[in-house]
Amino acid sequence: MMERDAFSREAQRYLDGERSGVGGGVELEPGERAVADRLLAEARAYHARLSPLPSVLDDAVMEAVRRRAPAHRAGPFHWLVAPQTVRVRPFWIPVLAAAAALAVWLAPRRAVPVPAATPVAAATPDTVFVHFELAAPQARSVAVAGSFNGWRTDALAMTRGAGGVWSVTVPLAVGEHHYDFVVDGSQWVPDPTAHVQVDDGFGGRNSVIVVGPKGLVRS
Amino acid sequence: MQAVTSSIGRRVTSSDGAVVRRVLTGDVEAYRLLVERYRVEFARYAQAAVGDRDAAQDAMQEAFIRAYDALATCREPDRFGAWFFRILTNQCRNAVARRRSRVSLEDVDPAGGDRADASLERGELAEALDAALARLTPEQREAFVMKHVEGRSYEEMAELLGVGVDALKMRVHRARDAMRTMMGALR
Repeated sequence: MMERDAFSREAQRYLDGERSGVGGGVELEPGERAVADRLLAEARAYHARLSPLPSVLDDAVMEAVRRRAPAHRAGPFHWLVAPQTVRVRPFWIPVLAAAAALAVWLAPRRAVPVPAATPVAAATPDTVFVHFELAAPQARSVAVAGSFNGWRTDALAMTRGAGGVWSVTVPLAVGEHHYDFVVDGSQWVPDPTAHVQVDDGFGGRNSVIVVGPKGLVRS
Repeated sequence: MQAVTSSIGRRVTSSDGAVVRRVLTGDVEAYRLLVERYRVEFARYAQAAVGDRDAAQDAMQEAFIRAYDALATCREPDRFGAWFFRILTNQCRNAVARRRSRVSLEDVDPAGGDRADASLERGELAEALDAALARLTPEQREAFVMKHVEGRSYEEMAELLGVGVDALKMRVHRARDAMRTMMGALR
């Protein structure tokens, strides 16, 4: 048999499982089929040598995570106490055709109660209200979703205002939060003005906002 | 992973999303459910991707800890498995890079001349495959392992890796060609 450097196209399809080689269409040249079958056999032999990893790994992981900070501090009751309220001033720019993104910016030292109807919840002393806005005149719905609400797309619906500007005020705990806007229930829109955007693990970007202990908000 | 209810044993397995939400609201111990679930699911992948059982175990442990630290950024808790797999993949790549810095590939040359005509035993075949895998690019190795060692479909691979089926086929095809060349030298 003449040695080849690469599998033929038919052999690749055979190895992909697209052709059985028996009643499945084009037969492979016997020598190439033998090489292909040998590769599959070697992969199976390799698999047979692998074994489950021991459950002691679970114990080691749990011991490590117990020593770390909680994965998330903001529970449902985290927002229900008297807040330190700061007024935040939106800083927004136009974005693509239908959805202009928006963000939050702050007037740090000015503590002003937010009207009762505006915030979605109260907050604790270590939280500040952050006002999110998104100019999206053609949107049917807009929400903000982030690490502070379990990325639920239905929990923080924004209210449409004049000029198609959607807004919501959210009490956020001091610390770093990741978020995006959700337009029409499915379109994720990151904040283009965020100082930091991070990979969301699914090919998109998450915006990052940092809430400081004295109300400093940086987005 | 979907919630599964057995009417016989009345055993209920919580969905990934439900477990993630428990952890995020302070139930740290619930994280063990995810660790057990995906240790079993991805154990063989990690070993094949790294090429060393102990290093694979370390990589998986580190991946679980990193996933815990970043859990609040998991946008789709019901797809925790795919999200975790990408963290694991990165840890496996790091482990491979560390191994390569310690072990010269020339030390495991699969084309050792005096073995060219030898008939390899079963275990030797696996060792030869391991040595050949070590010479693939990380992307090719991951794709070959998932397709032929784990036996996953291209659709499953696409879901886990977040890469299109056509691109994955290309990686696997190139990996096979490279493997054929390298392992052919053993015969």
